[in-house]
Amino acid sequence: MATNSALAGQATAPESHAGHGSDAGHVVLRPADVKTTLIASTTAGARGFKRWSIVLGVLTIVGIAGIVLKAVQSLDDQTEWGYTAAIAAFLLTVGGGAPLVAVAPVLAKANWVRPLTRLSAAFSLMGVVTIAIMVPLVAVLPPLVTEGARRRSIWFESPDLTPHVMIFLAMGTLLLAGLGLFYTSAMPDFAAMRDHSTGWRRNVGKSLARGWVGSTVQWRTLRMRIGMFGTFYFLVLIYTHFVFTSDFAMGVVPGWRDAIFPMYHSMSSIQAGVAVTIIAAWAARRYLGLQDYLRLDQFWSLGRLLFATSLLWVYFFFSAFIVFWYGRSLADIAWVDMFIRGPMIWAFIPGMFMSFLLPWWWLIWNRVRTSVNGPTIGAVIVLFGLLLDRMRIYVSAWSVPPEQIHERYLHTIPDTVWPDTFDYMIIVGALSAAALVMLLIFRVIPIVSIWQTQEYQLLSKPVKYLRGHGVLVAKPD
Amino acid sequence: MADRSILGLFQEAEPAADAMDGLAQAGFEAGTFDVLTGTPYPEGAFGEHVPQHRLFRFPAFGAIIGFTTAILLTAGTQIAFPMVTGGKPILSLFAMIIIVYEMTMLSAVIATVIGIIFESRLPNMNPGAYDERITEGWIGVVISVESTRAQEAESVLKTAGALEIKHAS
Amino acid sequence: MQQRRVLDQVETNRILLNGQLNTPKWWLPTVLGLGVVVLIGFVIIGFMVNRGLGVTGLSRPVYWGLFITTFVFWVGISHAGIMISAILRLTQAEWRRPVTRAAELLTVFSLLTALIFPLIHAGRPWRIAYWILPYDFARGIFPNIRSPLIMDPVAIGTYLTGSTLFLYVALLPDLGNLRDRTRGWQKTLYTVLALGWRGNPRQWKLQTVGGILLSALMLPIFVSVHSIVSWDFAITPAVEGWHSTIFAPYFVIGAVHSGVSAVVTMMALMRWLWKWDDFIRPEHFDALARLLIVVATAWLGFTFLELVFAIYSLDAPEIALRELQIFSWPWNLMFGVFLMTGYIIPVGMWLFKSVRNNIALMFWTSLFVNIGMWLERFMIIVPGLSRRTPFVYTWDSYRPSLVEWSILVWSVAWVTFLMLLFSRFFPLVPLFEQKESQIFVDKIKIGRVNVPAILREQE
Repeated sequence: MATNSALAGQATAPESHAGHGSDAGHVVLRPADVKTTLIASTTAGARGFKRWSIVLGVLTIVGIAGIVLKAVQSLDDQTEWGYTAAIAAFLLTVGGGAPLVAVAPVLAKANWVRPLTRLSAAFSLMGVVTIAIMVPLVAVLPPLVTEGARRRSIWFESPDLTPHVMIFLAMGTLLLAGLGLFYTSAMPDFAAMRDHSTGWRRNVGKSLARGWVGSTVQWRTLRMRIGMFGTFYFLVLIYTHFVFTSDFAMGVVPGWRDAIFPMYHSMSSIQAGVAVTIIAAWAARRYLGLQDYLRLDQFWSLGRLLFATSLLWVYFFFSAFIVFWYGRSLADIAWVDMFIRGPMIWAFIPGMFMSFLLPWWWLIWNRVRTSVNGPTIGAVIVLFGLLLDRMRIYVSAWSVPPEQIHERYLHTIPDTVWPDTFDYMIIVGALSAAALVMLLIFRVIPIVSIWQTQEYQLLSKPVKYLRGHGVLVAKPD
Repeated sequence: MADRSILGLFQEAEPAADAMDGLAQAGFEAGTFDVLTGTPYPEGAFGEHVPQHRLFRFPAFGAIIGFTTAILLTAGTQIAFPMVTGGKPILSLFAMIIIVYEMTMLSAVIATVIGIIFESRLPNMNPGAYDERITEGWIGVVISVESTRAQEAESVLKTAGALEIKHAS
Repeated sequence: MQQRRVLDQVETNRILLNGQLNTPKWWLPTVLGLGVVVLIGFVIIGFMVNRGLGVTGLSRPVYWGLFITTFVFWVGISHAGIMISAILRLTQAEWRRPVTRAAELLTVFSLLTALIFPLIHAGRPWRIAYWILPYDFARGIFPNIRSPLIMDPVAIGTYLTGSTLFLYVALLPDLGNLRDRTRGWQKTLYTVLALGWRGNPRQWKLQTVGGILLSALMLPIFVSVHSIVSWDFAITPAVEGWHSTIFAPYFVIGAVHSGVSAVVTMMALMRWLWKWDDFIRPEHFDALARLLIVVATAWLGFTFLELVFAIYSLDAPEIALRELQIFSWPWNLMFGVFLMTGYIIPVGMWLFKSVRNNIALMFWTSLFVNIGMWLERFMIIVPGLSRRTPFVYTWDSYRPSLVEWSILVWSVAWVTFLMLLFSRFFPLVPLFEQKESQIFVDKIKIGRVNVPAILREQE
């Protein structure tokens, strides 16, 4: 206490500064309670879990059936796969972006994010579902040389099937990086499961903890690995969006040259990642009773992030739009006709409302942000908006007949493609499969990181400052 | 009606907080006494009356004015001089958005600055009792009282440990 | 935070108000010297206005050259202030405290300077009156709001006004401090400017809440300004290399890169000139360098995307332009210098902690960045115009004249001159922010270690 005489000797550590169940202020939790409560969360709500996993499992099977039936019916017709591409893009956007919530604020030494790191990192494992959906899409994607001529591509003179291979390489690496981030930061908790849970969870903990005892060297290595995996994950995510957007959207539309598009896609990924983290945190509070762990502070901070990313979303959108709108070359006009006022205007207008206008107007209010339900409602709106936006882009792009692929610009704007039964089955199945993956993960490992919560308890201390109260928050170098 | 301003000067924060407590206990009305510091302290550190403000209304009000003016200006001037350029409509919404956005933000910023100054109760040309050492780390506890209670206020400040007392009317 | 020396408020006042109360000996000769350069610059500008743009190297088809490059450059530098002040304020980064004021100031003066360039570039600056203001109600002819040349002054005007007000509001407590430390006419001046500041909880609360609110309002303006500048180029398909959707964020991130680097340069100078070793410490350079590594890498990513999607089109003119930019003399040399100074050398060096904590090396590497970033703007603007395209019947290579180079040098001297002039009357480091950090910064003892900590007020 070299710098601050007013604080000297006045640090207090009451049992619960704010009281149990209160969302405001700081709550002091005992390390043993943290461990017990969070380990218990893996078994909490067993009946609900069983019911939901059956429902989601059945819907996943429906989705798989949808893909198989669609493949049987139209594996040779690219224009039939727009909605599948859209749902793949949606899952990549959501699942890919969420782990950044675990990375960026940590680098900025934000303590509020600690209870959310596990949750957000786990979303990267949704990549399993995305990769599975990519299989039929890759099968219908035209090769680089079509009808005797080479089409526009970021791969230029590379072998014919480069995009087909590269997307799996990119998504596979992304999944592995996400797994690395998730697993590395979960090792101390697996050790906790090994030491304090029972049955098969104990065995899983034993084998995955890999001899974790919490030595100084292990902790140092852990922090280093989290930093490395976090940075690596971010770079691979940007690369994956770059490959996905250029090969599975821009590449199939003649004359569409849009350098910002990969960044627009990545930006919406961050927005959606924040949104889905909010929703998952809300569900964890509601169904796993983690009110003392996922508190107002988390929702408030995520609400601000969601607000900021919604503004950035519209900025990236407008940056592209204004260039096309002003440009008025034939390719520019075709872009506006195709993606804005064209066949998917029914998705564009509500998408714009739900990705930007509504969340902006909703989250601008401090009272909304400083609540648990406010940011959650905003997050649901954003995710619906994102789904519509991905449909706008991918359904339009994939509806272009492949024979036009060599044109300098799009001469004929295709008609609206509406989803058929198989599309509905695929969309519902994909979303259910992704939710099922998340549900299963948190039966194995606590949804809130035990060690991060305990560390936060160490690093923060309620203090009395003269006549006021505050929290002293340590920021280790 | 308060006609005197009395300032107690302290070198440490703790006795200043004691003085604030003492004034409250002596029955002086919250809002008539205040603490003056050369740097912001955590809110409520001196047990002071937590100030309420309406700053957030200012940018909203400013934004509405800016938005309306910008719409009128951009739309009005283009209609008044309807020359087609670049094949764009006379009322080009997307071009207007940019100007409207800037003017809305400008107006909101100006209104916010006015709000900050207004809500800070500035400019204040009759600031009452003050001491230049406050910006050197001393802490001042200032109270506005009627002459009849001046003695009592001064005694509370002295009891808390005020090193100096200053008066202004 | 370990490098921190605890200073009481008297000592803090003494050191940080030395520019106003105890002006250093070097100040007057430096300002006079710069004043002479500035004066010469104005004479050259006067000469150019008198003789016309024929004294520059501008000629068809290169009608935008060094002036527009320098305009974009200074608008870019202006992004320093809000980046440092607003973003770091909103993210509650403690290390922002000593640099916010100088960064905001750099914003104001670089914007003022940027505005001069399109004005003199117009050749007959007095005709600007017909371009923007006053609105011509008499003849019913109004500016074309669809033109980015109208959007530009509106955006820059907004940013300049907002930044100036932001600067002033945050200056209020320090004006109160100066009022208390001065006598005579100076006291009168500061008394008027301080508006009766006393430092009660209401005023401090409004400073805090208002600072955050203004930061939140200034951020979207900050992003919009360079985006709108970028649309000067991007919305036209007529010039190869300009019509790219990525230009807006690409310009913004480039501006942040150059602006924050300029802040580093300025911080080194402030530490050396005013001997503010206790306030501007190696840890601040370290934090800024870390930030710059991220910003610079993001900027490089945007550069890559811009290039890839230019070639992606497979349009012959676009590819020819890129060949010119990257492989043809002298552009290849410039491209090499741009890449080396804009990214490879500085970022390569910043990866090492010893460099990040070495103020001299930080000074030089940050200067390198701005050489690179100036070249970047030059390479965006000029090659696209200087290509011989089908409908161009006269073309000439562009070589900036001595007049143009002189005006570029003038602009650097002008900004420095204004900064130094300001430093004579107002503190460059916010005193109250420094003092606040001494109240709010503390340590938590965990085992045998004292970990730096911040006091956060409860919501």
